[in-house]
Amino acid sequence: MSDAATEIKVPVVPAELERVPLVQNNRSFGWISDRVSAITEGKAPKWWWWSFIPSVCLLGLLGAMLFYQITTGVGVWGNHHPTMWGWDIINFVWWIGIGHAGTLISAILFLMRQRWRTAVNRAAEAMTIFAVMCAGIYPGVHVGRVWFDWWLFPIPTYQGLWPQFRSPLMWDVFAVSTYFTVSVLFWYVGLIPDLATMRDRAKTKIKQFVYGFFALGWTGSNRHWSNYEKAYLILAGLSTPLVLSVHSIVSLDFAVSQLPGWHTTIFPPYFVAGAVFSGFGMVLTLLIPLRSMCHLEDIITMRHIDVMCKVTLATGCIVSYAYVMEFIIAWYSGSAMEKFHFMNRALGPMWWGWVMMMGCNMIVPQLFWFKKVRSNLVIVFIMSIFINIGMWFERFVIVVVGLYREFLPSNWGYFKPTWVDICTYLGTFGLFFTCFLLFMRFLPMIAISEVKGVTPEADPHHPSAGGHGNGGKH
Amino acid sequence: MKTIPPTDTTPVTGRHYWRGLDQLADTPEFKTFLEREFPANASELTDPVSRRHFVKIMSASFALAGIGLGATGCRRPEDKLLPFGKAAEGFIHGTSQFFATAMPTRGGAIPLVAKSYEGRPLKVEGNAMFPGSNGGTDRFAQASILNLYDPDRATRFAKGTGKDRASITSGEALEALAGIANKFAANQGAGLALLGERTNSPSRRRLHQEIAKKLPQAKWYLYDAIDSEIHQRAATKAFGKSVKPLFRYDVADTILALDCDFIGGEEDAHNSIRQFTGKRKIEKPEDGLNRLYAVESLFTLTGVNADHRLRIAASAVIQVAAAIAAELGVNVGAMVSNSKVEFDKKWIVECAKDLKATGGKSLVVAGVRQPMAVHLIVAAINEKLGNIGKTVELVEAPATISAGISELAESLNKGEVDTLVIAGANPIYNAPADLKWAATQRKAKTVVRLGYYEDETGVSADWHFPLAHYLESWNDGRTSDGTLVPVQPLIAPLFGGLSDLEFMARLAGLTETNPNKIVRATFATITGDSSEAAWNKFLHDGFARGTAAKKTGASWSSSSLSEALTALTPAATSKDNLEVVLYRDAKMDDGRYANNGWLQELPDPITKITWDNAVLVSRTTARALDVENGDVVEISAGGKTIKGAIWTQPGMADYSLGIALGYGREQVGRVGVGTGFNGFPLYSGKTGYIVSGVSLKKVGGEKYPIACTQTHWSMEGRAIVREANLQQFKDHPDFADKMNAPVPPRPANHVGEWPVSLYPNPLDEAKKTALHQWGMAIDLNGCVGCGTCVVACQSENNIPIVGKDLVSRGREMHWLRIDRYYSADPTKRAWNSTFKPDEKQQFEEWIDDVQAVNQPMLCQHCEAAPCESVCPVNATVHDHEGLNVMAYNRCVGTRYCSNNCPYKVRRFNYLDYNKRSLKELKGPFYPTTLLHSTEGEWDLARWWKNQDAGMRLDDEWDLIRMLKNPDVTVRMRGVMEKCTFCIQRIEGAKIAQKVKAGESGDVVVPDGTIKTACEQACPAGAIVFGNIADDNSRVAKLKKQQRDYSVLDFLDTKPRTTYLAKVRNPNPAMPDYADPFTFDEFEKQNGNPFGHHGGHDEAHAPAAAKGAH
Repeated sequence: MSDAATEIKVPVVPAELERVPLVQNNRSFGWISDRVSAITEGKAPKWWWWSFIPSVCLLGLLGAMLFYQITTGVGVWGNHHPTMWGWDIINFVWWIGIGHAGTLISAILFLMRQRWRTAVNRAAEAMTIFAVMCAGIYPGVHVGRVWFDWWLFPIPTYQGLWPQFRSPLMWDVFAVSTYFTVSVLFWYVGLIPDLATMRDRAKTKIKQFVYGFFALGWTGSNRHWSNYEKAYLILAGLSTPLVLSVHSIVSLDFAVSQLPGWHTTIFPPYFVAGAVFSGFGMVLTLLIPLRSMCHLEDIITMRHIDVMCKVTLATGCIVSYAYVMEFIIAWYSGSAMEKFHFMNRALGPMWWGWVMMMGCNMIVPQLFWFKKVRSNLVIVFIMSIFINIGMWFERFVIVVVGLYREFLPSNWGYFKPTWVDICTYLGTFGLFFTCFLLFMRFLPMIAISEVKGVTPEADPHHPSAGGHGNGGKH
Repeated sequence: MKTIPPTDTTPVTGRHYWRGLDQLADTPEFKTFLEREFPANASELTDPVSRRHFVKIMSASFALAGIGLGATGCRRPEDKLLPFGKAAEGFIHGTSQFFATAMPTRGGAIPLVAKSYEGRPLKVEGNAMFPGSNGGTDRFAQASILNLYDPDRATRFAKGTGKDRASITSGEALEALAGIANKFAANQGAGLALLGERTNSPSRRRLHQEIAKKLPQAKWYLYDAIDSEIHQRAATKAFGKSVKPLFRYDVADTILALDCDFIGGEEDAHNSIRQFTGKRKIEKPEDGLNRLYAVESLFTLTGVNADHRLRIAASAVIQVAAAIAAELGVNVGAMVSNSKVEFDKKWIVECAKDLKATGGKSLVVAGVRQPMAVHLIVAAINEKLGNIGKTVELVEAPATISAGISELAESLNKGEVDTLVIAGANPIYNAPADLKWAATQRKAKTVVRLGYYEDETGVSADWHFPLAHYLESWNDGRTSDGTLVPVQPLIAPLFGGLSDLEFMARLAGLTETNPNKIVRATFATITGDSSEAAWNKFLHDGFARGTAAKKTGASWSSSSLSEALTALTPAATSKDNLEVVLYRDAKMDDGRYANNGWLQELPDPITKITWDNAVLVSRTTARALDVENGDVVEISAGGKTIKGAIWTQPGMADYSLGIALGYGREQVGRVGVGTGFNGFPLYSGKTGYIVSGVSLKKVGGEKYPIACTQTHWSMEGRAIVREANLQQFKDHPDFADKMNAPVPPRPANHVGEWPVSLYPNPLDEAKKTALHQWGMAIDLNGCVGCGTCVVACQSENNIPIVGKDLVSRGREMHWLRIDRYYSADPTKRAWNSTFKPDEKQQFEEWIDDVQAVNQPMLCQHCEAAPCESVCPVNATVHDHEGLNVMAYNRCVGTRYCSNNCPYKVRRFNYLDYNKRSLKELKGPFYPTTLLHSTEGEWDLARWWKNQDAGMRLDDEWDLIRMLKNPDVTVRMRGVMEKCTFCIQRIEGAKIAQKVKAGESGDVVVPDGTIKTACEQACPAGAIVFGNIADDNSRVAKLKKQQRDYSVLDFLDTKPRTTYLAKVRNPNPAMPDYADPFTFDEFEKQNGNPFGHHGGHDEAHAPAAAKGAH
């Protein structure tokens, strides 16, 4: 190929700003396939086992806690009168929020032709799915009578009763289940070409069969690619409104009620921004170590990190704006209860929740204005942890602080979690990481075909390797 | 059913006859028959039985017991009950029957109507037919039904103490009793001592006299740990003849209560509440209110409801009494000038002036814990004010014919007592400490006890007889005004207990031991009418008309006052001279209700503490002694030391320690175990209930958790309870509406409702065709905060108790709670005190001088209910009659409804409270059914066999289930529940009305037919429920009053429960005259609701210029 290329006269391209290449060091297609597949094909490294075993233990803890809670009653948790929702809903919203980055990266950025997404979208989507699974546990088991959960679905039964469509919890059921379904589909469709790659590289019969089964007979023909691209585009189109709707609807759980601090119209956009913020936080938390553990520095480059930091900064600023705006709205509303709520949020007995929220979500991300910070992986990693913590506290402030002191002071009461609350939460990490670690061991965690698509070689107009220009210019 | 008449099971006394050839033959079958405690089948009650099975057995045992009434006097009392198996005439299965009865109290009796469902008494209500009664009761009456089904009550006849204690058959026990009777019949009762509790039963008095004739050497003693007889003793002293004072709160315009908690801890409080609030539930300002001055150390319900309150040590109350007396011109000698305590002189002067101005319609009362001297001074004051015969009626009262417990102790110490019979009382727990009763009692050779529990006294007696509940036995009583009332049984004694009448008759070897006959004979003696018709009418009505005690004139003896004046002037209390005030607990009484879960879990009316008592201290005291809430302290006085946990109580007098009696029981059932601290060791005959010279010491670092249901004290200036002074009410009759949140101005051309709602409410359509629209009005001027309604609701609606641990986690289940807010002069509150954690309140200065308000809070049945729209499964919906109904079966338990309820009146079954015993309700490790076993059987296997079975022991479960109201679902875990406006009563009345209407089609339930449980129990009549669609209904009229408002009006939830604002009536001349503090707090936050002028300033402006906004 290189011989032929030298014979063609290529007109000199006018001076153009060179973009930083998306895949560094001019890696070839083969290298990408090998490197990504190696994670699944080689022996599991020690660090994987060191992560996997504790994760499975935590997953067991989750099982035990759910078993205990379901057999005994919601009373094993700390929520009480008046704070009837506690860590159950906080963690539900928190995990759902985390589940936002994946689909945002894969759908919205896809539609916007943000090509850098290819390096992180697979892992982020997987993260989304596992986070939504963790989230989904909570509304499922937090109810008093788990065995009647199916009453929340619109199933025609002999009872002749339908769910109540006015209830935001009902909307939640639809929103979350739709989001989960579409996210899984989207993720799976994106996986098909890579599954075929895995199939082709597989050395055992079982692997060949399993990968082959899920690859749906992918041959890489033009027709396949054409259908695939269309399906992917359609799913991206479908997912995009879902990214916005899920967390909007989750926010309506609060906004539709009439509690001071909950009953507010800015919740939907503020929740979506918060979700993207926390989602990117979690993506950073996951990918920064993975990148070096799996030696993917050439694929998940510093540029990726940099871009994600910028998204985090932008959404962090939106959330901060909302935090401040809430106070202004409370003041401007003239509602004594609203005013009290926000005074109490900042000065009341749970002031520390608010301080954590403001500190982690408003102040910490401001460091991302600095290029030096964005390019220091250790700092970025630590900050991403802070963002995760901060977003947890945001939900804490909304759920618990919204409930523990409201209209009638006779109802006021202080919320304390129990050990079961804490262990259940830790257990969901077990589920999340168990799933994620299995995912990275058995599926390509980088979208191989898509990453190849953004390399310079993939450009039909691009001179093959060895010519001038060694990065994607798109 | 063919039943074979059984041979008598009980041994005879007197001449011995063969009862049959079987007995002669002494066959084993006959022996087993004799040994059985109950007739065949009845003893199977101890097996796990279903409710249906229980009814079957009870019917059978009634049937057996009812047959073969012989002439012998040794029959069991149940032989008079109708055989249930042969159903009574007109009995319909599934409907309840109502019987008039009465609950005996110490100094009276509460006339009741008890509801019986298929042979099980389920609920008691006041007898509204009783003259003057409004059908209200008190907490104890409402909770007494739970005692009937208490699995821990004495269920056996027992013999021996300690390890030797063994169950015996009733036959053996009665034989032993007969043995005692025979023994003392021979020596005229020498060496026999009887210790009983005070009662107002004429039959017992008659029996007493008969026994005195038969056994002249036998001695009777009475003991009550709460000595409420002091009123009678004082009146007897002051008026020189045996009289009892009746305080007429319904006549008095000005009342001065000197440490007298006539709304709370005093005897017969429910009557006092009815009388007192009768003058406060005003319709318009012109009606005028009575005025209550309270002088007290504890913050009591009387203080809460007072218009003026003087906070002073209990020991100093005598000084206040003397000062008032002196001010009124009573010669109190040097008492006032010798005074060592300080208080506001002007307060005394103006109070005395006010009393004088209303002379003849004023009333001064002293509390039971105050010494005799105070009572005598008070008698002199009432005499001076011309109140005697007007607000203080003197009625004839028979003199006490028994000696007290100290005489008995003396007698025991001298070795004069051979056999000590204790009927009812529990002196080992609650006798004055100086008597060292546990040791003293053992000086008798034999101790026989008749008791409801095998309690402290019970376990140390040689013989223990189970006492029958008042719903299981025949008795009679006189109410506080002396009217004769019957106590008739609704059920045969569940565990074969004896009534005290039968026990005493047997003990004395009287020929007539059938309590029914004893009571009937007494009735005939009192009324002079022995006809069947009169007796039946007596039982039907529940009282005998015209038997009230006669009013009597008596002249005051001035010498009684001089006796009072010899009393020592008390030293002022200080950090080094603390005093302890021991008081009758609002729930435990003297400890007799310690095993009653409803009462244990009922929040104390003032402190809102459940399951415990505490050492109540003022903030100043706490600071001086360096203690804070929950600190365990040792309190020593006169060589005795008790432990207790500190609780800072707003409004307490400084350097007074308040300790409720009745807690810290050592021998108590499963419910009462480990609750509270025992104050009785500090109580002695000499010091009485007010113990001076007390020292307090912190027990190093020890903390005791206290479960309180309302942790935040202040209302934060919100218009939740709305209050005004009478003057403000006069100037602004619409003050309650003025405190509503502002609404947007109404456009000039707008017609109809304003503000307009965005969406049409579907209920508005349904309203047009519905027959009834239910609503409730609660008069905050009527509600004194006693808490009777809470227990009544619990009893009616099968509300479980959850135990201390879960109460402290905020999970109590009461559908109706009483919110109590303290308010203070807002200038005394720091701006940030609102934002401090609740446990910091105890250190804040504003709590020193507070006012308090009460507000019953229950489901408001909002027309635009926030709970309904958020339920994802339609479990809570509205009905066309305006009820917010809850479909428990549909509820999955998302708890969103509770979060969205601004009143937070919904309760969630966090655990399976009904099926878990209390000890399984303690965190943080709650046993799961999958790992836990009950009575040696795996819970899941139990459940598999019987889906009703839970983690309760079978004996508990069987009894507790019998108490459940069959008209109300028993909720399982994971289900939300709340007040239903007693929908079972509404539906019952609607069905009854439909049946009654027949062809006429008149199916609208008449006003007053339906009373919710809380309404029916309320002694003040503060709660009124009814059809608001009917303009003439009581509730509709109340809602039209100008005081009517809805809580959180600005949310536009349109509650069906509305409140009538509170009006206080302070005396403008008093130094502490002020707006109600809640009003000031409101004003500080929201501005003056009446416009530019200050509320109280306006009082002086011309009337025409006011309130016209």
